[in-house]
Amino acid sequence: MNEERISLDELPRWEGSRTALMACTVAGAAGLALTAIGYLFDARRTMLSYLVAFLYFLGLTLGMLALNMAKYAARARWHIVIRRAIEAVHAPLPALAVLFIPIALAARKIYVWIDPPAGLDKEVLHNIEHKHGYLNFPGFVWRSVVYFAVWLLISELLFRHSVAQDEDGSPRWTASNRRWGSVGLPLVAIAATFAAFDWVMSLNPTWYSTLFGVYFLTGSFVAGLSLLVLILTFVRGPGVVGSLVKKPHFHNVGKLLLAFVCFWGYIAFSQYMLMYHANLPEEVPWFLVRTHGSWRPFAFLLAFGRFILPFLALLSRDLKLRPRALSVVAAWLLFMHLIDLIWLVFPSAQMRDFGMKWSPASLGLHWTLITAFVGVGGVWAACALWRLQGKYLVPVGDPYLEDSLRYVQP
Amino acid sequence: MKRLVLAEFAEPEPLVEAARKLRESGREGLDAYSPYPIHGIDEALQLPRSKVPLVALIAGLAGATGGYVLQWWTNAIDYEINVANRPPHAWPTNIPVTFESGVLVCVLTIFFGSLFYFFGLPRTYHPVFEAEAFRSASLDKFWISAELREGEEPGDLERALRELGAGRVTHVKEED
Repeated sequence: MNEERISLDELPRWEGSRTALMACTVAGAAGLALTAIGYLFDARRTMLSYLVAFLYFLGLTLGMLALNMAKYAARARWHIVIRRAIEAVHAPLPALAVLFIPIALAARKIYVWIDPPAGLDKEVLHNIEHKHGYLNFPGFVWRSVVYFAVWLLISELLFRHSVAQDEDGSPRWTASNRRWGSVGLPLVAIAATFAAFDWVMSLNPTWYSTLFGVYFLTGSFVAGLSLLVLILTFVRGPGVVGSLVKKPHFHNVGKLLLAFVCFWGYIAFSQYMLMYHANLPEEVPWFLVRTHGSWRPFAFLLAFGRFILPFLALLSRDLKLRPRALSVVAAWLLFMHLIDLIWLVFPSAQMRDFGMKWSPASLGLHWTLITAFVGVGGVWAACALWRLQGKYLVPVGDPYLEDSLRYVQP
Repeated sequence: MKRLVLAEFAEPEPLVEAARKLRESGREGLDAYSPYPIHGIDEALQLPRSKVPLVALIAGLAGATGGYVLQWWTNAIDYEINVANRPPHAWPTNIPVTFESGVLVCVLTIFFGSLFYFFGLPRTYHPVFEAEAFRSASLDKFWISAELREGEEPGDLERALRELGAGRVTHVKEED
């Protein structure tokens, strides 16, 4: 064991990769430019595509921010060697704050409650009017600002303190982050819950589910963990950092993944089953649209692809100990998260049936789904790479790093 | 009538090492006793993979199937009731009870199955209890037991165990 241990003093700073940074920036710029062109042809569906892409990368970011906060709150030590990878995923949050601006500017195109067309059902118009105290455009904007303020505060503090600790190795950064992590957990979670209400649930202003924020957050957390698995598998190997990440670290992330795949299955089914059971006319249309017609295959794909199959695969202990096999499951779950978001967002796009009415919806997918995904993802990844430049890829100043390197399964 | 040689170790690591060496020398009927689980002892004794997960899976699936069939048969076949105009066979509403009954049957099976089958309870006598010193196995010492072959004298095996680091060494005979 000892001979493969690398002296921490030899750990180099990461000089960054100009090629990767350039590739991400170009892909991001090109993707966003094409999406802007798509906006000229079909503003509504382009904005929905953009919303899906934005939520996807926001989810990854918030998921790993939640993991980082939880680790600090629990005073965990095993994860320290992989903490910079976790931080790398939540570091590009400022880029997302900027990328939110188009959504605020074009909100009218997708949120029917901002400017309800007179042709809507009288019941629905009355319903929207009734919710005006919460669902109004100024409120939407200032609440969004508050969400980002809360997330940015916690995310930046955790990241900057951690990087500062690389330089001086002072334990006070850990102490400070433990406080901020504990304070941040409820704040970030509440902000994310309301963000999910405002940005996704209000696409259909007459439908509501109190579980919706949890649904979005849990799905995002699973996706964030999956990305973490992919990053760790990618860096694993003879490299300086890769050799420090051992099987027990993978096993732990795999176990978390299993736990949250189960949790997603639990809350997703609960949300569905409770509405099915109550059978209330203002609740069920949302699910009827999503489980019938063109969207039926999506619902089955999610039930099997996002819960049953990954659950059975991740039950295996051997699989969780094999980084490559675990990566296959993780990549699949990342794809499923995208399918999930499309399934949440697009059926609401018809802007036709609200309230108690429903009719089978066509898929109505748009090519900008691809360009927006590449665009937002490119900018997001470029921001992550840029922020990691010149930093250590392992938190070398953390007083508990040695504990993490020694970590074996208890 | 079993005859066992018992050896006490102060630390778990030498016990694991002794278990491995004895097994490699062809000794059969080895067992280890410890106040807490020891890492590596399964490999050292080459214990077979536990059957508990398989039992749990079968019991869980049986319980879940039973739970589902019960609801389906009572609600959709035997006595149909129209509840909130859902179809008589409304599968989503059956899932919670299906899950719960699967867990219940699984847990009860592995709990009682372990107690009465895998642990062999209620077992009122075991040859190791012939040795008074063996009490320390439930306190702070680690014991290994090895079966003596037919007609074999305990002397050689006891010496071998002492060389492997055992403290107290003794041999016991199962009562008829």
